[in-house]
Amino acid sequence: MKKWYDAIKEAQSVDEIEEIRIAVFGKKGVLVAEFAKLKSASDDEKAKIAQELNIHKNALMDELTSRKITLQTLELQAAMRSESIDVSMFSKTSQSGALHPVMQTMDRIVEYFSAMNFAVKTGTMVEDDFNNFEALNLPKHHPARDMQDTFYFKDEMLLRTHTSPVQIRTMMSTKPPIRMIAPGAVFRRDYDITHTPMFHQVEGLLVDKEGRVSFANLKYILEDFLKYMFGDVRVRFRPSFFPFTEPSAEVDISCVFCDGDGCRVCSKTGWLEVLGCGIVDPNVFEAVGYENVSGYAFGLGVERFAMLIHQIGDLRSLFEGDIKLLEQFQ
Amino acid sequence: MIVTKSWLNEWIDISKVSTDVLAKMLNSIGLEVDRVHSYNIAKGIVFGKVLECEKHPEADKLSVCKVDVGGESPLQIVCGASNVRAGLDVVVATIGTVMPSGLVIKPVKLRGIESSGMICSAVEIGLEDCQSGIIELDKSIGKFVLGQEVCENPFFNDDLIEIELTANRGDCLSIMGIARDLSAALDKPLREITYKEDEEKRVGIGRILSLSHENNLNVNLKYRAVDLKELKIPFLMKLRLSQIQSKADSNIDYLMLYVMHNCGVVLRAYNYGFFSIANEQLAKVALLQDENGFASIMNKSKEKASAIGVMQEDASRVTYENGIVLIEASYIAPDEISKKMQSKKIASNYDYYRASRGSEPYLDIGLNSAIGMIQKNSSSSVYGGVIELCEEPEDKIISVSKNEIDEIIGTKIDKAKITKILKNLGFDTEKSSGENFVISVAQHRHDIVNRQDIAEEIVRMVGIDNIESKPFIFSEENRLKDDYFAYKKRQTYRQKAAYSGFFESVHFVFDEKKVLQEYGFDTIDEDKELLNPIVNTLDTLRTTLLTGLLRAASNNSKNGYSSIRLFEVGSVYSAQREESLKMALLFSGDRETQNLSNAGRAAKVDFSFFAQKISDIIGDFTLSEYKTKHSLSHPYQCAAVKIGNDKIGELFRVHPEVEESYDLGATFMCELDFNKLDFAIKTAKNSSKYQASFRDLSIVMPKEMSYEKVKSTIEKSATGELVRFYPVDKYSDATLGENMSLTLRFVLQSYEKTLEEEDISKSMSAILNSLNSELGITIR
Repeated sequence: MKKWYDAIKEAQSVDEIEEIRIAVFGKKGVLVAEFAKLKSASDDEKAKIAQELNIHKNALMDELTSRKITLQTLELQAAMRSESIDVSMFSKTSQSGALHPVMQTMDRIVEYFSAMNFAVKTGTMVEDDFNNFEALNLPKHHPARDMQDTFYFKDEMLLRTHTSPVQIRTMMSTKPPIRMIAPGAVFRRDYDITHTPMFHQVEGLLVDKEGRVSFANLKYILEDFLKYMFGDVRVRFRPSFFPFTEPSAEVDISCVFCDGDGCRVCSKTGWLEVLGCGIVDPNVFEAVGYENVSGYAFGLGVERFAMLIHQIGDLRSLFEGDIKLLEQFQ
Repeated sequence: MIVTKSWLNEWIDISKVSTDVLAKMLNSIGLEVDRVHSYNIAKGIVFGKVLECEKHPEADKLSVCKVDVGGESPLQIVCGASNVRAGLDVVVATIGTVMPSGLVIKPVKLRGIESSGMICSAVEIGLEDCQSGIIELDKSIGKFVLGQEVCENPFFNDDLIEIELTANRGDCLSIMGIARDLSAALDKPLREITYKEDEEKRVGIGRILSLSHENNLNVNLKYRAVDLKELKIPFLMKLRLSQIQSKADSNIDYLMLYVMHNCGVVLRAYNYGFFSIANEQLAKVALLQDENGFASIMNKSKEKASAIGVMQEDASRVTYENGIVLIEASYIAPDEISKKMQSKKIASNYDYYRASRGSEPYLDIGLNSAIGMIQKNSSSSVYGGVIELCEEPEDKIISVSKNEIDEIIGTKIDKAKITKILKNLGFDTEKSSGENFVISVAQHRHDIVNRQDIAEEIVRMVGIDNIESKPFIFSEENRLKDDYFAYKKRQTYRQKAAYSGFFESVHFVFDEKKVLQEYGFDTIDEDKELLNPIVNTLDTLRTTLLTGLLRAASNNSKNGYSSIRLFEVGSVYSAQREESLKMALLFSGDRETQNLSNAGRAAKVDFSFFAQKISDIIGDFTLSEYKTKHSLSHPYQCAAVKIGNDKIGELFRVHPEVEESYDLGATFMCELDFNKLDFAIKTAKNSSKYQASFRDLSIVMPKEMSYEKVKSTIEKSATGELVRFYPVDKYSDATLGENMSLTLRFVLQSYEKTLEEEDISKSMSAILNSLNSELGITIR
């Protein structure tokens, strides 16, 4: 019996243990043979031998089991070691695409205003003179038309130069009160480093009963909106001029690059112009047949927002489907 | 509009206001400051006087000067300027001065003669180029002492402010105009400026000139006449004109420019001879309508001298130094000329800009200032009196209550404050009573027409920063509908495409007509085409998103990208220019990035891989054989994308020739009608609780036969137990000849029970039978 204890101790694999198990506990195994010898033993000895055999049987089984567990563990360890890899051997291989930074910015703007319960209106890009100019207090000879160089079609239609005609369309087709934004592409005949013939705007309009909507309301929502978009910036309003609003203002934020200290981007002024806004001019309401109402309107360029937020330097690269640029927004 | 501090200071006392504060104030009243520039004259540059000036014995172009700079003895300075001469008051850089160029002035010997200092030109001391040669000083810069530092003189050490004016503020196109706005903001009066005229011994203008006119031309005109003699432009005027970047051909035109910039009135100087008539004492000026309908000044033979507020003909300009000159001040309402300019494309002068934005209507200010300046700087004699054609301006009255102003602004503003602001702006409020303002608008503010405009003036002067922000309280209703959901749908599909590996691309809605035609796409009908495209390559509206994506893919390929995945959701146009929304996707080259797991050799995209990608984005669809109208597609790898029986778009491999011309490998594209894509809320179907069974069936069918046929035959003949089926293997060899073997996997399941073998064979044989009878297909 002793040799089997040694054999178990010396076994080096789960397979060897299994062989030992069969040799000891199997039908033709040592124990069966030993127990068989009992038959020929005297009654006196029988009990004694049987007791001894049982002790061995249990002890061998314990030894065997524990050795087996040890060996199994070792084998698993070895197997896993053989599977070891260099986990650092990895380089970014993302397969995902990305949304366009300008469209992402537009999404964020729409998200803010729809959370403020502004309706989203889209309109069409091919417009007529009335919606794009005339109704917006820009009659044919108005000097402010100098500011906008327009794409015309042979049939006197035009590509909208701003999203403002959507306001007109909305007011012509619905009754006040109105609270809406109009996100979309607009067109100017300008093509250089800082201008592209197509870009995107978001226009906002709120109309309610006469005397209800004030400049203070406009200031409130734009300050809140700009903080949502740009984080903790200072907001400044400067009186300005737009034909369709009166009073009008341009809105600046403290420069996001230098925090207002003055840098190249803000031309050393510490401020960046981001929005135009104002109280809707009564001539606009007259053109759409509204009476006894008041309202505010604002408009912004989405590319400018995107370029400031994502620190993109080249405007034209935004329209080239350039993966070098786009993959940075994965 | 450019102003300088010293010039503004002539109109309003701002000597104690710093330039920073001034710029801030201009910004806050809506006059946007574009640029501030300070002229800082270096220390050591002093006033001097040339006492003697002799030719340099060794050099033709040099002079040797004795210059008094206030010291005990004059300096000897060698000067190369051609205009240096004895008696001249000059600017001298003394020894040790660091010039703006970095040059340090040291004692030197020039061709053997000592020179201790430099007589300077304007550019050398950091000013604009206002005079050729060295600066010639005169009394226009005020009193100065020889040896005094030039930087102490306010005209030299001046600050320039460039203001970006909005189109409505023609009244601020002059120094006086800006000063007038500042006067309201600072609550400080404008200075009184008077010109002394010698009234004695003058001949009346009526003796040499008569004016005739057509009626109803809505022009205000005033004429004066001067017998011009020895007009000299003083240094300060030259300096300022260089600062505002103005140039003119003659001294009198120089002076006109200066006065116009100073006080905003449109002024012109005319050659008297242009109007004079042989053998007659009276020259005749006629105001008539010209061929374009502009109010124009003409002589007796109807030759045009000028169009009011638009341009002046060269023939009527003053080209002589001495002789009679007519000075005209004019005003015409901006819309009188801008309307006509819009329809007639004619060349205009710089003064059209001024006149079309609203020039100063107070003609006397301009005329008197011009005459005053001429008298001061020449020995001319002035004709007495004025010939004029002026209509009394209509009083523009706006009435508005304090309450209305408060409502527009959103805060309460003190009544006295409103009154004061309006008064400072030159508006008459005398007729106001109680809480109601009756405002007579100043003539120069043609932009003020209603109560909103009045509110705006109050806002400007109060300062927007001083208005407290207030949330708007709104009557709530649900506004998230229609267009909002359309936007959401677009956003959802864009996000799905991005998650599926595509990069969002945005292109101009313009395209090149030639290219569209070449590939057989629709183009916009000629009568609805763009009239004024910006470049040839963007000369029409796009009718497809495909060309833009293809170009972008090509650029990316050239940039070294081996896996190009792009998409765009955007508007395209029909030939009749109707707008519709499309979604297009492009996949070119490698399926995935090259990495360890593909041993650096990623598989290329193929038809079924691309179709699978599209399915990840738009869900279930079927493909059927199709021929595209355009020639971008591979003729044998091209399909119509269908949902149900509705064709929603096309999916194809790009034609190999096109791939090659765009430098692309195997490229697949898909263009979908965005409105036909689903955005309904999904509903769950009842699912069976019983086990599903799978059966594979290998059929032999002609290679040429479309799977679509097999599919529809199976669909028609299948029993209710067939849940779905799909191809899993394709095989062909010589023994099969023109046929191929296709293995299909069928999934069968019942809602009522676990299917028995018998049920399954019944279903399968129904399918087999119809495949056999309808298409002649057998089991392999």
